[in-house]
Amino acid sequence: MERVDVRGEVCPRPALIVRDRLADLEAEALLVEGDYPPAKGNLTRTCSKHGYEVEDRSEAGNDGFELVIRPLDDEGDNA
Amino acid sequence: MPDATEGPTELTEYAELHGCSCKLGRSELDSLLTEVDITTPQPELICGVGEDASARPIGDDQVLVSTIDFFTPIVDDPYQFGRIAACNAASDAFAMGAWTDLSLLVVLGLPRTATDVATALLSGIIDAVDEMGGVVAGGHTIMNPWPIAGGAVTATTTESSLLQTTTASPGERLYLTKPLGTQPAMGGLRVKDGEFGETVTDTTDRPIETIGEEALAWMTTPNRDAIEAAHEFVTAATDVTGFGLLGQSKLLAENAGVGVSLTHLPIIEGTLELSRLFGYGLESAESAETSGGLLLTVPEAESSAFEASLSAADVFYREVGTVTEGTGVELRDLTFEAISR
Repeated sequence: MERVDVRGEVCPRPALIVRDRLADLEAEALLVEGDYPPAKGNLTRTCSKHGYEVEDRSEAGNDGFELVIRPLDDEGDNA
Repeated sequence: MPDATEGPTELTEYAELHGCSCKLGRSELDSLLTEVDITTPQPELICGVGEDASARPIGDDQVLVSTIDFFTPIVDDPYQFGRIAACNAASDAFAMGAWTDLSLLVVLGLPRTATDVATALLSGIIDAVDEMGGVVAGGHTIMNPWPIAGGAVTATTTESSLLQTTTASPGERLYLTKPLGTQPAMGGLRVKDGEFGETVTDTTDRPIETIGEEALAWMTTPNRDAIEAAHEFVTAATDVTGFGLLGQSKLLAENAGVGVSLTHLPIIEGTLELSRLFGYGLESAESAETSGGLLLTVPEAESSAFEASLSAADVFYREVGTVTEGTGVELRDLTFEAISR
């Protein structure tokens, strides 16, 4: 799994950084680590709408968030 | 107008959350209010917590409406930030149908290194309040790591003219008095020159600066003319802020015990594409708005007169949906309309 750290980045930059990383993704999934509260929702929304599965691995009580983003194939299954 | 571009300070750089995006989330706010037991009706008030502003009867059918609103910079120009903050703070009183005897007490917080913007910022607030027919009656300033600006606002109305969110009824039409899209417009300005400049400018046919200027024009348009033209036809009102149109519609639906069906979204041209790029959710009415329009419910029989009154006052409006018998908010066959000034 590839990783991208968007901690310290303010919207809309996290969505743009993740977009670029997904375009070049070679692994089966991308782990996104972030700490800007609105970014979690914005990333989940935009990735879900653009054909990706988003898994929330954030730990309760932790200030940051972790999302695992996987491309889906045309049928909506994991590629 | 002071030249606010002289100073080196980029106001939005000081704060991580911008404009109405810095609001506490709905669920967090609800938990907090429940925890301190301030959600039950208070006998001294007609309404309070849960509405846009509180309403207190002061005799002779008069009602004192009071509210407070302040937020972090959404633009770098301190004069324009002041204007937006004043329009946004007063909007909560207008949403209650109160615009006479308008007074604003300034809330101003600035980092020690950014006090050079205070004059321009305060001038923006004073000019906007003047434009709304009100007075700046005082205020309070503090040193604060994130710049904040806004005000405590009072205005008066009568008991029969007071507007709340609780009085919407099924069958009524739902109107919005400003187009949506301020958040993606401001987001676009923040990234148009950096490493993502090309991606952002290629997203829409319109120049990002033009989109930003139009959003600024809408955010600095007071909702005063809108409520003055609309109030006699309106059964319930609120204004669209950080919760977005969807969140504000949910609030109205819950408070009134009705459902809301959203069918049409007027959107500042170019911001729908930017929102899709940023994941802001404008296409589903979720995107936060700063100094947004009034959301008004109007009985079917009054809608022609309502529309004629707003047109005569040169106030923007669009029908965005209907009040229904159900609960919650549904997005039904949504259509989008690009709005340019």
